[in-house]
Amino acid sequence: MRIDAMSQRRVVSILVVAMVALATGFLVAGQIKVQLLTPSNQVARYQALVRSVQELEATNADSRQKIAALRSQIDTLEAAAAARSAATQTLQNQVADLRAHAGLTRLHGPGVEVDLADGVAGTDTGGEAGYLVNFKDVQDLVNLLFAHGAEGIAVSGRRVTPLSAFAGSGSQVIIDQGPPVTAPIKVVAVGDRLRMEAALSDPSALPDIRAREVQFQLGITFSGGPDLALPAYDSSLDIRHVGTL
Amino acid sequence: MSARFRRTSPRGASSRAISVWLIALLVAIVATVQIRSQAEVERSFAGADTASLAFLIDSLHRSNDSLQAETADLTQRQATLQSGGDTAADQVLTDEANRLRAAEGLVPVHGPGVVLVVDATGLQALDLEDALNNLAAGGAEALGVNDRRFVVGVPVDQTSEAVTVGGVAVPTPWTISAIGDANRLAQAADLMTQLMRADRRVRQATYRVEADVVIRAVVTERPFVYGVS
Repeated sequence: MRIDAMSQRRVVSILVVAMVALATGFLVAGQIKVQLLTPSNQVARYQALVRSVQELEATNADSRQKIAALRSQIDTLEAAAAARSAATQTLQNQVADLRAHAGLTRLHGPGVEVDLADGVAGTDTGGEAGYLVNFKDVQDLVNLLFAHGAEGIAVSGRRVTPLSAFAGSGSQVIIDQGPPVTAPIKVVAVGDRLRMEAALSDPSALPDIRAREVQFQLGITFSGGPDLALPAYDSSLDIRHVGTL
Repeated sequence: MSARFRRTSPRGASSRAISVWLIALLVAIVATVQIRSQAEVERSFAGADTASLAFLIDSLHRSNDSLQAETADLTQRQATLQSGGDTAADQVLTDEANRLRAAEGLVPVHGPGVVLVVDATGLQALDLEDALNNLAAGGAEALGVNDRRFVVGVPVDQTSEAVTVGGVAVPTPWTISAIGDANRLAQAADLMTQLMRADRRVRQATYRVEADVVIRAVVTERPFVYGVS
């Protein structure tokens, strides 16, 4: 009888231990599943997004190359037509001047080069990544340079046009239809070099950048040059909704 | 004392050792997978978050559509020049000149778009520059503020009395006219006016969509003094 009672207790205790172990196992397995699947799903989703961006950027670069090549071929055809007619020549000269002012042709001359670089992340960011160069910094800099004698500007190799717009999220700076650029960003401006240098040296200009230069060591440096070159705009100057009066 | 220890057969001992090794291996695998998974997430997200990527994808889609339209337009222009004579060339050049004059703000223009009215005290040149840039990023193809034309390159300055556009004061209320894709512009204007209304300086910020916005003001052409094409 004593042996039976003991063996019963042992069986019960083994069952209890087994049940507890089973429950613990389910809990641990559930927890592992949640912990593992969430990150792996995030990674897969992120990788899919990155792949989409890469594919779209490749298409973008391809289209811009095509546009540059087509504009060059059209120039050649127009020049050939202009060589045959004085009236066409006059028209071509007008268009060449308009294209130059629209940023559709290369431009060179005296000017300034401005370098913008990310700063160092601070503890008090106020919810914003103030140490990163953002699209508003580029917009402010371009506006300052145009207001002080710039005749043409390029941002990290992308020419600014009369219809240019700056957008972006975080540290990405999107100019018109190009892929995003990130810091370090080089802004090259051709025009009145002395006026632009004076404006860039003015401590009251670009107040937001100056404040973050102190707070986050955001980098802004510039140098003048006697002959700087700007590339031609290689994207769309889209005004399909505009009609002339 | 030695009698209290149970003697175990070599076979039992080795199976226990195998069990311990198997459990250790499983724990190691799970731990490794977990740590690597976490590290991969952290490494991936170091560049940009998913919201930024989604914004970028949307922007690139729209850009690529626009670039394809430009490619098609240029291809057609090239074909016209190749097939036609001097008359065709003159027509292509005249059309191009008109298009560029409109883009550069040299001629009065009209088209679908939005008109924003912003009445405020204390708004600065930077506020107007932001508003104009937001509309340009939202698809504006021509812009005007009160009776001044704006294109990139026209200086927006701050004086002690008012904001100036191209050297001429534009006192509030600002009437900002934007021509372009009316749907896209309406979305941009809606967001802008919502944000403006949250600004204490702003008394009124409204917009209306119009089928034909007219901008008569033009920019004065400035010849290059320093730059050479």
